[in-house]
Amino acid sequence: MALNNNLDAIVVGGGVIGASCAYFLAKAGLKVGLFEKGDIASGASGACEGGITAHDHQPGYDANLTIISNKMYKELLKELDWDIEYSEKGSISVIETEDELKFTLDRMKQQLACGLPVRFVDQDELYQQEPLLAPGFLGAIECPSNALCMPIQVAIALVRKARSLGAEIHTFEEVNDVKLDKKGKISGIVTAEGEVSSPILVNCCGAWAPFLGKMVSLDIPIKPRRGQIVVVEQAAQVGHRKIGEAHYIVGKFHPELAEGTDSDILKYGISFAFEPTASGNMLLGSSREFAGYDTRTTLPVIRAIIQRAIHFIPSLKYLHCIRTYAGLRPYTPDHLSIVSQVDEVPGFYIAAGAEGDGIGIAPITGLLMSQIILGQKTTIDINPLRWSRFSGGY
Amino acid sequence: MNSRKGVNEMADNKNKIDDEDIIICRCEEVSKKEILETIADGARDLKGIRIRRRAGMGLCQGRSCEVLVRKIISEQLGTNPKELLPSTKRPPVRPIELRLFRGNDNGFKQ
Repeated sequence: MALNNNLDAIVVGGGVIGASCAYFLAKAGLKVGLFEKGDIASGASGACEGGITAHDHQPGYDANLTIISNKMYKELLKELDWDIEYSEKGSISVIETEDELKFTLDRMKQQLACGLPVRFVDQDELYQQEPLLAPGFLGAIECPSNALCMPIQVAIALVRKARSLGAEIHTFEEVNDVKLDKKGKISGIVTAEGEVSSPILVNCCGAWAPFLGKMVSLDIPIKPRRGQIVVVEQAAQVGHRKIGEAHYIVGKFHPELAEGTDSDILKYGISFAFEPTASGNMLLGSSREFAGYDTRTTLPVIRAIIQRAIHFIPSLKYLHCIRTYAGLRPYTPDHLSIVSQVDEVPGFYIAAGAEGDGIGIAPITGLLMSQIILGQKTTIDINPLRWSRFSGGY
Repeated sequence: MNSRKGVNEMADNKNKIDDEDIIICRCEEVSKKEILETIADGARDLKGIRIRRRAGMGLCQGRSCEVLVRKIISEQLGTNPKELLPSTKRPPVRPIELRLFRGNDNGFKQ
């Protein structure tokens, strides 16, 4: 493919975040080139679940990113000419212990104060709604505005739309080097096809963002955190929306309350997550491990995920697992992504580090990145997402 | 001869597939036409077709259609089917009931 040497902005990475950045930059009128070493959605975006969930985030800023994104998804549905398998069925987190109940009810007050439409579902209603749950759970917290989508199709849809708006899409074209001018500003990239010039480079490489950072001597503190998923055959779906466990939220924010649980659960960061998909399959998660860049699945973790799922929905045990897969979520030390310019290297921008929330915050991330690059007022305060919190700045 | 060779011979020699409505992936009901569309959209390998149109994503995980999909990609891109990367293999090899994961490590060591 002939390379255009007059790009306004280069986006590196073809996952949901890169696709969203390319789309919003192209929509703003910039001549964009997206470069991806593999195919679209070949990293974490192709090996995850599709939950757009706000109630499992810290009430306030973190949850708001997802709430705004979910509204944006509904707008995008009108613009994208591709089915992203979006449905807003809500989700519930099942409460098992008195500790979880107390924690959940306390947290609900904060969530309601922040405008998140959460609701307590008592035991009777829970079993009316989800009759296949194992007996004995105390209730659940429900967030009716939570939604599901298919992340791979989201990335493909955004890339297709960006292309129709004039963006160049270079898949299977790895960035081998980044070029700076004499003043240390971004001037372009080098791929196997040659050099491409552009004054702007957006690093949307997810767990691989540190590699692109190193090319401009930046030490980006993102680490790959592996999440394994079990795919269940197409069958009568044993739940009709996303079902999780309150333990996940407790464990995320109050790990001391999670002590004393089964050791594999702690060791592999296991938390029950059930998701019905538009294709009729069901996905089971979840796990969190630091295992380098290894995307293989492992039997101990898969077994722990399945055992946890059967603990909640016993009838799953007669259904078949047809596949397992693992994706590398881009972890940051403070669990917030980086959506920011980089003052040390003018023209270098980062949109990465959402860990498991990439699909939930992809639309707002792309919009914010276009607003930052164009110097526009941002839709939401970007201070918590700034790069300088990791570079020793303010 | 084994049946595997039979399938390959059929795909390679006898049945030149030219009806674009023919179903290639039976599990997910993906037609040849839809596979051609994914290649036009940028798919270059088995994974690219799987993620765009689910061919090979169903119950058999590509066991039935992979040879045919491989042949279509090679025809379209003008490459040797043998040079095409295989799709990513992940456990289990065959569908397995979830209750069988409840035991201990005996016989399951990776």
